[in-house]
Amino acid sequence: MICLEAGRLLDAFVDNELEPADAANLQAHLASCAACRQLLADRESLGRLVRHLPYYPASDRLRAKILRISTRPRFDPSLLAWAAVLALAVALGGSVEIVRFARARHGAETTAAVADEVVGDHVRALRDAHLFDVRSSDQHTVKPWFLGKVDFSPPVEDLSSIGFPLMGGRLDHVAGQPVAALVYQRRLHPINVYIWPAVDRTAASDTRSIRGFQVRHWIRNGMSFWAVSDLNDAELGELVRALQR
Amino acid sequence: MPHQTFEEVVLPHLDAAFNYARWLTKSDADAEDVVQDAYVRALRFFSSLRGDDARSWLFTIVRNTWYGRFTRAAGPNQPTVYDDVKHDRPDDGLDPEALVMQQQAVERVQRAVQELPTDFREMIILRELEGLSYKQIAVVVGIPIGTVMSRLARARERLQAILRPSAPPRGNNRDLS
Repeated sequence: MICLEAGRLLDAFVDNELEPADAANLQAHLASCAACRQLLADRESLGRLVRHLPYYPASDRLRAKILRISTRPRFDPSLLAWAAVLALAVALGGSVEIVRFARARHGAETTAAVADEVVGDHVRALRDAHLFDVRSSDQHTVKPWFLGKVDFSPPVEDLSSIGFPLMGGRLDHVAGQPVAALVYQRRLHPINVYIWPAVDRTAASDTRSIRGFQVRHWIRNGMSFWAVSDLNDAELGELVRALQR
Repeated sequence: MPHQTFEEVVLPHLDAAFNYARWLTKSDADAEDVVQDAYVRALRFFSSLRGDDARSWLFTIVRNTWYGRFTRAAGPNQPTVYDDVKHDRPDDGLDPEALVMQQQAVERVQRAVQELPTDFREMIILRELEGLSYKQIAVVVGIPIGTVMSRLARARERLQAILRPSAPPRGNNRDLS
């Protein structure tokens, strides 16, 4: 092993993140290289200092606020209204309707919340000019890129034949979970298509407009899809239909 | 996460969430705002929490919340200023006590960490203070594990360079990955 390679492995070694074989090779090198031993000692003394850095705990005031947030829904006055609607539903119909209605209400809230998130993410990705982790119009390059980065395999299809060239993709996070984001383009309008396993209870399909962005959502083969763009809804619909084929 | 409530799963990580936000924003008030927003979002998306690593999940939300609120203009790409570290080198003082020396050393490190570009600072905090694995950091920051490894190494190199006042820092602060 040469010093350059040893230097590359040093931090993972200090952090106990090296494969055993790499660790053994590095140790063999350290035994014979005083310069790299010095680097290791420097890293270890830095680690000792850094672990004494102040840890900032939440203040009691913040803790009280957070507690209020996390218990609020139980005492939400709007629940009273909701209870009244439920009572009406009981009077009018049967239990099946109630269950369906309850699901729909929950689904509608989750759908709205996720729609907000994807639009926020779309805006951030554009603002920070971070649309691509993998930049390629080749679906056979983009799809395998997600291997090992997410625990599902997103369908990836280049649609340049109908005027929506695939530009690339990236790993992103929506609602705290890793998602695959594919980027298509029409003229100068980028389109983000977010894909993840459909485990959250959103509506099966949705169309809405948020802050001037068009949002389309659908579920297909157990995957949840969200397309966001500043493109007009008719053209975005073309892309959505192509992806649903 | 079937039989556990939000209070049981997410509330216990409040200190960790605040510590992370505090080091990201470098301000108590901003960190409180970020954590409060993050908890509102976490509550909304609690049903989408998969697996049992609630802390990493919460960190991801804290980070996204912070990222959404504060533009990166004032963040990682800002040139680093080394001046105030030079003014209070511990060897300027003459206090002989080891404890005081240690305290001064920690204060120097604290200032040095605050000077780091945000991309580097959060690596140090997530690894050294929160004790996250490379895999967990990769999830929270949204980068491949290989990048975690190289970015953490660069962060420590940069930190050592800042703490070594005579030697000018070398190289650029961006990852190559």
